Order: sequence, then structure tokens, then C-alpha cells
Amino acid sequence: MPEKCGLIDIPMAQFIVNLNASLPAAHKFIIHVLDSTHFFVQPDVAGMIRSAISEFRDQNSYEKPT
Amino acid sequence: MPQVKIIAKNFMDMVASLPAIKLDLLYRNQFICEAILRSLPPLAKKYVLQMLYIDIPITSKSLQEWLLADGSSKHKVAIDRLIQLRVFEVIDRKKETTYKLNSTFQTNLRKHMISGGILPREPIPQSVTARLPTSEELDAYAHEQWECFLLQLISSGQAKKSTSFSSSMMRIFQRGLLRQRDKEAPRLTESGFQFLVCIMKLMALLPLFCVCGLMDPYTDKLNEGKIEIGSLSWPLYLNWKTLMQLFFCHFVARLFILCSDFHVLVQEQGVDQADLIAFLLELSFHTPGEAYSLDTLTDDQTTMIKDLADLGLVKLQKGRKESWFIPTKLATNLSVSLTDSSSRKQGFVVVETNFRMYAYSSSKLHCEILRLFARVEYQLPNLIVGAITKESLYNAFENGITAEQIVTFLQQNAHPRVAEKIPSVPENVTDQIRLWETDLNRVEMTPAHFYDEFPSRDVFEAASDFARMHNGLLWEDAKKMRMVVMAEIHMLMREHLRGQNK
Repeated sequence: MPEKCGLIDIPMAQFIVNLNASLPAAHKFIIHVLDSTHFFVQPDVAGMIRSAISEFRDQNSYEKPT
Repeated sequence: MPQVKIIAKNFMDMVASLPAIKLDLLYRNQFICEAILRSLPPLAKKYVLQMLYIDIPITSKSLQEWLLADGSSKHKVAIDRLIQLRVFEVIDRKKETTYKLNSTFQTNLRKHMISGGILPREPIPQSVTARLPTSEELDAYAHEQWECFLLQLISSGQAKKSTSFSSSMMRIFQRGLLRQRDKEAPRLTESGFQFLVCIMKLMALLPLFCVCGLMDPYTDKLNEGKIEIGSLSWPLYLNWKTLMQLFFCHFVARLFILCSDFHVLVQEQGVDQADLIAFLLELSFHTPGEAYSLDTLTDDQTTMIKDLADLGLVKLQKGRKESWFIPTKLATNLSVSLTDSSSRKQGFVVVETNFRMYAYSSSKLHCEILRLFARVEYQLPNLIVGAITKESLYNAFENGITAEQIVTFLQQNAHPRVAEKIPSVPENVTDQIRLWETDLNRVEMTPAHFYDEFPSRDVFEAASDFARMHNGLLWEDAKKMRMVVMAEIHMLMREHLRGQNK
């Protein structure tokens, strides 16, 4: 099963490392940390990572109540 | 079925992309031969006419002798076009390339020149049809149908009158231009947006000419002077006709190209794509405003004519005993193929540095397009006020519209008052649009395989070069001799490494 390699900027990379650390051992998805901007991860976590990122992004945005 | 990404610039490009067998079938129709002839670049036309009555192949060297010194680039363009359309057949003989006219094309064009081309149908006499729509009424009808259709495309709920587009037509457009998620209204895809923008560009040209008094929309004459269009010295006027035709060309090209399923769909209805093109081209030789009986159409053509009426190409009418169709100007100008006119058009959008947007337009179509990527706040009789916000842009990005497209749209439709400024759209706005787009794509993931524990540095380097040659190397660490390679070339990599081990 092909695993996925992620290309990221450094702040995002930190976010992903944190995300990985916060998960219980069974769900940890980083297989190798290649360098500060690349990871080698389990194959089916793409969706999960993206939704975590978009949640993080939403927490950072303010929308004026209409 | 994958979407075909070729964007033919006009109808003729699309015709050129048909397979050889289809083209030969098409060339059996005299009108198509004439239409193709008209669409060729001037030098190509000359070659065709000169070779029309020559039966033996001509060497390319002798063709080149016909040229003046500075004509070689035009010559190349002409020859390429002729080969692309399969009008010229290339025969390579003993190192010398020779050209010969396609025999079907040749025969039919000869016939056409001699006999003058008689349409398979005659206009119905006035006695039967009573009052026919006037030229203005026809144009208004065509315009209305077209706008209605475009509105339908963008937002199904908003068209003023319920359209009677056949379900197959809507399916065609929905596959290529719209995308529908469950329980949501259909939304525009990237290619759909591109298409709309293109149409808008061309539609925007119309009011400019009328308003400037440069053109009388009813008599289709330029008030001052004449402009030569195309190479033949047609007493042509840059006019409403040609403009409408331009965007129709784009429309038809996209109809066929974007929706590669169209071919399948069309065949579902039992209509062959080549027949459709043949019919469209034949239509272009009819006189606009004249009535032609529906009985003269074949079954296939009758199926098609309903859809064409929905698009404003023809108007269907019924008399007491007979029914007929009236071609509008949209249809009759199909055979005129023009290079993209580079006339300046009237923009209508002003974007401010505080991300507010003011669009001086009363067209519903414009409003809908702006709604795709901006938050429309107020709509006044002649003005649409809106703002470009992160949420509205995210919406657009989700639909596949790219930041580049939005920025280009704003720049090309900039209101004349800001159009002269450089930049016509404030940089902070364009930069921010692009930044918001990249924000959505901060992580890039590729299926891949990880390799380590190489026996020696040489093997590692050979493998890394191999991967690089196949454009599959994603990451490597030379010190620790590890690398990540794209999953697609994993098999190749394995074989390479096995080979290395021996």
C-alpha cells in the first residue's frame, strides 16, 4: 500500500507533528520525519489531516456576525 | 470519461480535430467545403484555389517557389492548417514531400464553384408564412434565448422564463460546465467559468459598438468607413453579426470539446457528430429572416433543430398547415471564421483597495458571475455593489475556479476609469486573492514509497538518477542514503534495483 509523502511549510509541519503526538499510539500516522518540510505518513490519513488543517484555519479566522 | 482539455479557439479548430474518416464524410457536403475554404488563412486559400484543377501532386519545393522572400512563416502556417484539416494530403516520395488536394474535397469544391451551391431547401413564399419576424425581432429573440440559457447555466433558479431545454442538452452542459453535488443546486466548474468569461468578453463588445454610434445594429453597417475582415475583400462590416458569431463559435467549440461526453450523448440520440456539424454549416448558408419548411429536414436534423431553437439559432414557427424555422444571425455567421478580434471592450468593474467592488451593470448575468466569487451586497438599477471576502473566495475555490481566473477576469473587465491605471486592479487585492488560494493548499500529498538501506553509495546514486529521469523523485537524503519515490514508478524502481543487484 503506498504511503504518502507530504510537502509542507514549516509552521504547518509543526502543526502536523503536534497532531501526531496528540493521537493515541494506535492512530499515530507519521512513519518517518524526513526533514523540516517533508513527512512520510500512513496512506489513509490524508482526509483526516486536511480536515484538521481546515479546522485550525477556521479557528484562526474571524467572521463578522451579519 | 476524462474531459478533453484541448480548447479549440473556434469552430474550425474543432472541425480540424475530427478524425480523418469523419472529415472525409464532411467534405462530401459542398457547403462544408466552402465554409472550410472561407476559414483558411489567405495564403492557404490561394494554394487551394490554385491546386483545385491540378490532379497530380505538387512538390513542396515548387510550392515554395510561389512565395516571396518574406512569406515563409505565413507559408508554414498555411501548410500546417491545410494538413491539419486534411485538405492537403502529404505524399512522401523518395525524400521529396508532395502535396495533393483531398480528392473528396476537390471534387465537391469544383462542383460547388460550377453549380453555385443550391441549398437543399427553398424559402417558403410569403403567402404561406404571412408576417415574418423582422430583423430586430429576430435578433432580440436570439439574444434573449442566449442570455436565458447562460443564466440557466449559472443558477437554475433564476432564469426569467422556464426554459424548455431538452434534458439531454442540460445534461451535456452539466457534465462539462456545471457540477452538481447531491441536494445542491448545480454549480459552475472551472471550465464552465472560463467559458462564461469568454462569452462575457464577447457579449461585452456589443453595447460598445451600438453606444458609440459606430454601428447601426439594424442595418449592420458601420457608420464610418469599412473594415476588411478575413482576407477576402468581403464588403464586411465589423458588426453585430460577426460579434455574435464569434461567441457562438466559442460556444460550439466548447460544446464539443469540453463535453467529450457530448459525442456519446449525441449518439444516444442517434445523431452523428459529423451530421450535426454538417447541418450547422449548412444552416450558415441560409438567409437569415427567411422561413424554411421543417419538412425539408431529415429526421436527425429535426431532432437537432429543437435544441438549436432553444439556443437562439433558429426560430420555430407554425402556420396553419406548415411549420417552419427561421435562421437567426447567430446561425448564418458560423462559416465566417475570424481571428480573435482585439478590439477594446467596455469594462464595468471597479475594485477598491478595501476589497469593495462596484460593477456598473444591470445585467443579471454579470450579477451571477460576480456572485460566484464575491459577496454581492446591494443591487441598484445600474450598479452592483459587493465585496471580495475570504468566504466568497473560498466558495469559488471549492468550485474549482482559480485565483488566476478571477484576477484575469477583474483585470479584463476593469471599468474605463480605472483601466488606464497600472495596475487596473489594486495589487493588494490580487495578492490577497492568490494568498488565500495557496492557504487552501498548504499541504501537498503524493502516494509514494520509501527506500533506505542501500548497500552502497553507487547503488543509491544510480537509483536516485533513475528516479529523477522518470520524474518520480520526491525527496532524498544523500547522507543517510534514503529516498522517497512516487508510487507510480515503484514497479520500475523495483526492477531497476533488482537489475542492479545482479
